[in-house]
Amino acid sequence: MRATLAIIFLAVVPAWAHHAFQAEFDSTKPIKLVGKVTDMEWINPHSWIHIDVTNPDGTVTNWMVECGSPNIMLRRGFTKRSLEVGTVLTIQGYQAKNGQNRANGSSVTFQDGKKLFVGGSNPDIPEDQK
Amino acid sequence: MRVLVLTIVAFWLAAAQASAQASSQSAAYRAPRSFDGHADLSGIYQAVNTANWDLEDHSPRAGTMWETGAIGSEPGGQSVVEEGAIPYKPEAVAKKKANFDHRRTADPEAKCYMPGIPRANYMPYPFQILQTPRGIMFVYEFASANRLVNMGKPEEAGSDTWMGTNNGHWEGDTLVIDVTGLNGLAWFDRAGNYASSHLHVVERFTRVDPYHLTYEAAMEDPTVFTRPWKISMPLYRKVEKNAQLLEFKCVEFAEELLYGQYKKQPSK
Amino acid sequence: MPACFLLIGILLQAATAQNYAPPKTPWGDPDLQGMWPGNFGVPLQRPENLGTRTTLTDAEFAQKQAQAKRQAQADNEEFAAPDAKPGINPPSYWTERGTPTRQTSLIIDPPDGRLPALTAEEQKLRKEARGGKGFPGEWRGEAASYEDLNIYYRCITRGILGSVIPVVYNNGNEILQMPGYVVFRNEMIHEARVIPIDAASSKHPHLSSAIRQYMGDSRGHWEGNTLVVETTNFTDLDAIGSNGAGYPGDPGHHSADMKLIERFTRVGPNTLNYQATIDDPKTWTKPWTILIPLTRNEGYQLLEYACHEGNIAMGDILTGARAEEQKKENDSSK
Repeated sequence: MRATLAIIFLAVVPAWAHHAFQAEFDSTKPIKLVGKVTDMEWINPHSWIHIDVTNPDGTVTNWMVECGSPNIMLRRGFTKRSLEVGTVLTIQGYQAKNGQNRANGSSVTFQDGKKLFVGGSNPDIPEDQK
Repeated sequence: MRVLVLTIVAFWLAAAQASAQASSQSAAYRAPRSFDGHADLSGIYQAVNTANWDLEDHSPRAGTMWETGAIGSEPGGQSVVEEGAIPYKPEAVAKKKANFDHRRTADPEAKCYMPGIPRANYMPYPFQILQTPRGIMFVYEFASANRLVNMGKPEEAGSDTWMGTNNGHWEGDTLVIDVTGLNGLAWFDRAGNYASSHLHVVERFTRVDPYHLTYEAAMEDPTVFTRPWKISMPLYRKVEKNAQLLEFKCVEFAEELLYGQYKKQPSK
Repeated sequence: MPACFLLIGILLQAATAQNYAPPKTPWGDPDLQGMWPGNFGVPLQRPENLGTRTTLTDAEFAQKQAQAKRQAQADNEEFAAPDAKPGINPPSYWTERGTPTRQTSLIIDPPDGRLPALTAEEQKLRKEARGGKGFPGEWRGEAASYEDLNIYYRCITRGILGSVIPVVYNNGNEILQMPGYVVFRNEMIHEARVIPIDAASSKHPHLSSAIRQYMGDSRGHWEGNTLVVETTNFTDLDAIGSNGAGYPGDPGHHSADMKLIERFTRVGPNTLNYQATIDDPKTWTKPWTILIPLTRNEGYQLLEYACHEGNIAMGDILTGARAEEQKKENDSSK
């Protein structure tokens, strides 16, 4: 009887089941990218961060990284100015099935490991602009 | 005798003046009042002109698909731009022309994208204004677009959107809406007239008689235009007893255009 | 014994509703206006082992609260765990999970909190839809065309119920009123339902049955302090579920003849009870009712959700499927 308590509270719809990430990204192609932000699109249904990644051979590739709905971050006080161009980010996720330079951003952090958009505002923004 | 004639003339003049005053008083229409004492603009309206085809003067012209015959052709129309033509910067003219040349696939309307402001107000479908204590709601048919105009302390947008950030206030019986935070992706019309995300629109809605609003929209975008410019037009109240908005979601009608090339081709 | 609890539950609910008299709008209607965001965490259908219990016990609720607290702490961890394996979803903190409640299920009728049985006709229809492929719902691994994706992935609509059943984000619901109309705005997918209110519904009859709409055609009237909205003229192109999409466990496909009766009642200064009865004898053998208590939050901003305009994923899903097919073809021809 008590053992069944654990399953009572799980909502029937798992988080994010509404979006076919499995259809879009390849779980056999994990990626880790480090790059400089060139643009952030605060759009729905998911926002996209564009980063310039320097490849081992010195060439630069621009990647698009899919995050969540911007509405959540906007309600937390972040704005389109919160992620400055040039900020260095580390992205972990999976590459798009169609082979393009797109990935999902399951983990998006600054170089020191701090998560993007968690806690206070972007530390890269000068104090007087927060 | 002369006194009599002068008296009659005097009375006649007085009567003429009184009736002139009376008709000018009745010509000064006062809109009915909303629950909060402001002019009541609530109702269902529709623009009846060719602004959605082309804001500027244009002759009738062929459409983008001859297969639809005359149905797909474009009617002529007179400019709703008060200055006549839209004052593009020289370097912006080429982009407008490119938009026009590619309009069959480039017009965001073709893709069922939300029309933005001001275009939503003069698309050829009814829209509804609802004045509520929480703000003034504009509900449009096309693409289920809508906007809630904030009538309190003006707010700033956190990000750019298709329908903009709308801050309104009253100037007498005129509703003035200041629109910022537009994303620069909507067009003004099917002819490719456009602006950037720096576009700032100030609209004025006035009820001039029981059946018409006057709509004015002033545009400002120094990255695209040499100076501000303005459009104006009447908006006609729908008087059918059963007038209501219908759904026009249109995404399902745009999918083949947007994604048809990515479908699985039947194997040969 | 369980039936007794249920009766008491319903009576308590009715009594509470009757005790609270909401303020009136300036023109004298009950004032339902406000920002009433949905709160995620209550399953649509009650786990079977809970029988006819409509609320959790203190112990069960405490466990749920502890779970929520742990999740919130994990989300708000400032630093990513260096050894954490990233999933295929956005970052976990990119959600709005809401606060735990005691309700055991959104369905309050039938008394077991579970969906009534499907009619034989509907079972056959679901099996045979799209040549046996079934109605599009959760990702089924097929993307020959955009039509294989469900109505939410296509950014068309979530349907009336799908738009109010809470999910992991963007549960904004706003109610506005003016004399003769109520407007129900939902955040996803930016619909604004304009509902004419009439004491005499003959003044605003429904659209002819020849006109069908995803969100149907709604007409409202007041019953005391409750706004009752009847909606007809549906299509059968959406499915009932948190996203109008029809995932396993969701009610799923409904007929175009479905009749929806919603009841909006303020039961306190900051609580609005949203109750909806689904009456579709072609699909379910009995009507069924859900209850979603909505809590006011005027600090919640309802933001534009331009889903279709930014639907980059649709193109990527289709081209991804084509790339995989090409790869299979290349591999098999070797």
